Amino acid sequence: MTLLDTPRKHGDASDGGAIGARLSRLDGKLKITGAATYALEQPVDGLAYAVLVPATIGAGRVARIDVAAAKAAPGVRLILTPDDDLGLQPATDWNNVRASDGPYVPLPRDIAYNGQPVALVVADSLEQATEAARRLAIAYEEGPVTPGLDSPNAGEGSPLDQLSVAWGDAEAALAAAPVRVEAEYHTPREYHAAMEPHGLIARWEGDRLTVWEPSQWTHSMARSYAEWFGLPPENVRLVSPFVGGGFGSKGFSYGFGAIAAAAARRLGRPVKLAVTRPQNFAAYGGRAATRQSLALGATEDGVLQAIVLRGASETSTVGTWVEQVGAATPLMYAVPNFSARQRLVAVNTVTPGALRAPGKTPSAFAIESAIDELACAVGADPLEIRLRNYAEEDPQARKPWSTRRMREALAEGAEAFGWARRSREPRSMRDGHQLIGWGLATGTFPVIRNYGEALVRILADGSAEVVTGATDIGQGTYTILAQTAAEALGIPFERIDVRLGDSALPGAPVAGGSKLAGVMTGAVQKAAIAARDELIALALNDPNSPFRDTGANTLILADGRISAPRGDGPVVSVGELLGRIGRERIEVRRDTLPDHLQTPEGRFRAWTTMTTVQGPTAGDYSMHSWCAHFVEVRVDEDFGTIRVARMVSAFDCGRLYNPKLAESQWKGGIIMGIGMALLEEGLVDSRNGRVINNNLGDYLLPTNADVPDIRVIDVGIPDPHASALGGKGVGEVGIVGVAPAIANAVFHATGRRVRRLPITLDALV
Amino acid sequence: MTTEITIELDINGRSETLTLDPRVTLLDALREHLGLTGTKKGCDQGQCGACTVHVDGARVLSCLTLAAQAAGRPVTTIEGLSAPGGELHPVQAAFLEHDAFQCGYCTPGQIMSAVACIREGHAGSDEEIREYMAGNLCRCGAYPHIVAAVRQAAEMAS
Repeated sequence: MTLLDTPRKHGDASDGGAIGARLSRLDGKLKITGAATYALEQPVDGLAYAVLVPATIGAGRVARIDVAAAKAAPGVRLILTPDDDLGLQPATDWNNVRASDGPYVPLPRDIAYNGQPVALVVADSLEQATEAARRLAIAYEEGPVTPGLDSPNAGEGSPLDQLSVAWGDAEAALAAAPVRVEAEYHTPREYHAAMEPHGLIARWEGDRLTVWEPSQWTHSMARSYAEWFGLPPENVRLVSPFVGGGFGSKGFSYGFGAIAAAAARRLGRPVKLAVTRPQNFAAYGGRAATRQSLALGATEDGVLQAIVLRGASETSTVGTWVEQVGAATPLMYAVPNFSARQRLVAVNTVTPGALRAPGKTPSAFAIESAIDELACAVGADPLEIRLRNYAEEDPQARKPWSTRRMREALAEGAEAFGWARRSREPRSMRDGHQLIGWGLATGTFPVIRNYGEALVRILADGSAEVVTGATDIGQGTYTILAQTAAEALGIPFERIDVRLGDSALPGAPVAGGSKLAGVMTGAVQKAAIAARDELIALALNDPNSPFRDTGANTLILADGRISAPRGDGPVVSVGELLGRIGRERIEVRRDTLPDHLQTPEGRFRAWTTMTTVQGPTAGDYSMHSWCAHFVEVRVDEDFGTIRVARMVSAFDCGRLYNPKLAESQWKGGIIMGIGMALLEEGLVDSRNGRVINNNLGDYLLPTNADVPDIRVIDVGIPDPHASALGGKGVGEVGIVGVAPAIANAVFHATGRRVRRLPITLDALV
Repeated sequence: MTTEITIELDINGRSETLTLDPRVTLLDALREHLGLTGTKKGCDQGQCGACTVHVDGARVLSCLTLAAQAAGRPVTTIEGLSAPGGELHPVQAAFLEHDAFQCGYCTPGQIMSAVACIREGHAGSDEEIREYMAGNLCRCGAYPHIVAAVRQAAEMAS
């Protein structure tokens, strides 16, 4: 119950209020002055410095490591190798499953991939540890290597039957279709390459461990450390107030963390391990390489009759990661017959992981390229063919969309881009030596829901605090939670402080799957309304309150001041009221957990695993974010160089809590998509499985000079089914569909259909 | 290699005397020895620009500069760009206004590069800004907003 009605919000500026306002980042000043302190920058006394030593073979085993020369080097304090028993136990995975077969060995003798850690050297300084690490003499027994998905010895892999999707009779309908387009699409290994490399500081105080490590999920990572070391959960604190980008890579603890923490325990001294940039290409996995055979069957008008997808992705020989290539395929278009299957191929790589819009990104590359090929085959405009096959409901789940503003995205994007002026034929638009191509593709990302917990404090000086263990990896958690509290409390945004990124704080899910904003604004709103109600109740009832005898039965809290609704009573600031009634603070902690999770076990599971996550079709609706990208590329006719000249993208992400920050995320996703389309590819040495371009000079990221003007358009409306405040996911959908939009534009410019990413000039000349 | 050297660094107008392993880079001297962690380590091999500082007023990659090389020369880091608690440098203010960053990790390097870019006279057009800011990577993809921020700060400076 609330004593005040929350006014209905429409998700645009007309609402007024803090939510939806284009505010600058709450944490902005700290970041632009260098005062934001990231994990490895925490001032910890008595640090020793660790250097990780990676394997230089692709498969086999460590025969022996001669540590004598390294041990004799100045400043060396400890060397850990496969000869050391670290005494660790397995940790629970995100499915809440804990392996029971023996100890956890992050420094194993058996080598499953090039770059796997084989030793850790700890010294008094980074320079000493680096030098000593070079002096290790490591002898290997090399085994046969399967370097990648398309290697001759990789095989076909195993079927993933649980991912098979089928309705109708797709094979028969495809065979009978008057028009068929069939092709194979490839995406390479791609890497997160967050600007802040991974690493940690581990400090023991008795049997209590503090870990400062960049994290998208403090509670779950703290749990891993606790389980590795056999500690009660409350003995481990993982702290991560600022995170220099994650993109999916910083949601979990990794072997290097276990090794460094074990070293700190053995030394009795805090240890800092900075994983070097080259090591960041094998210390944890990027996006798995994929291939897809995709066939579309259609009428002569381009109306889809069948979609048949046969896909494969790579994983490691020591772990399972599924890059779900059919993630977007069944959602995009109405089709009466559908079949998708996927196989998983184990190769000698670090286990791949989640990278921005996992599954959806390679999936959209194939289906959104194929639909463009179908448009060409039937002589339809690429925008028109998407409308002809518009999915009025979720074709797979057969549920209505909660909201799907794809028509609006296509229409408004096309209008802003000038799509109507596009000439149909490939190679029909040019500017001197430059072939001009205009391409279009769409994207999607599911609404994923979960639960969160927040603490809200109203303080004696009239300010307020929001506290939760959720993290801000650049998406804007600090800012939107302050906005949420400001609006619910009636206290100005400028007077709200937010504390995040610490497993000792209230529970939160991973900052991944584009769900944290929806989850945590709901939790903060709930806590803030409860805090406000408590304050108002005190104002009405406390003997020392100036409102006690006004006869009012409710009060207004706005701009940090409390008044009676009729405006004829006293007006008192929040701080003044607290002073009068002798309270230092109002403090309220609330969560959004359902009753069946209101147990210690349920709460722990909710904050540390994925088992409480609800997918996009868990309820009566199918809920997703949507987008449409319009791209102009310019291809040099002689040299084949490709430049993205301009882009317009329209998004339906429901209600935006802060359009300024949402636009930044959209553009960031788009720019990562430009990289995926034209630049990014992990190149693997076929002899030994080593990622050759394991640095930021050779693994090419988009630079400022690669990125044109990008216009983003919001076509969303609040989606009441998606989240408490009406938003859908923002962070990942932006990358989905960019690569096919660019590939489609390259085809329009050149007449060449490139189905293997990245698209480089050698494919065009 | 146990020999240490004693050098005097001029950081943000303050003289700092350090006794160091001669292999220590300017970046590590700032971050590990002086507690000036605003300058970031993104790659430690001169490829990302996150460690950009000014030495003798020019932008320099502090990860490719030994601390000893900077001895006696004025070094400015992000912490020295505006007085603590004082008014923001116009480039900083423009970054905040245009949301020219997300995670913030490349941001000090971007800002130091932008200040130099404007001072060098390389902020005359969006094209020129993109080119002369291309040595500072941003994985969050704040580039369009960085260009807008640099353009605004350059216009204010001219």
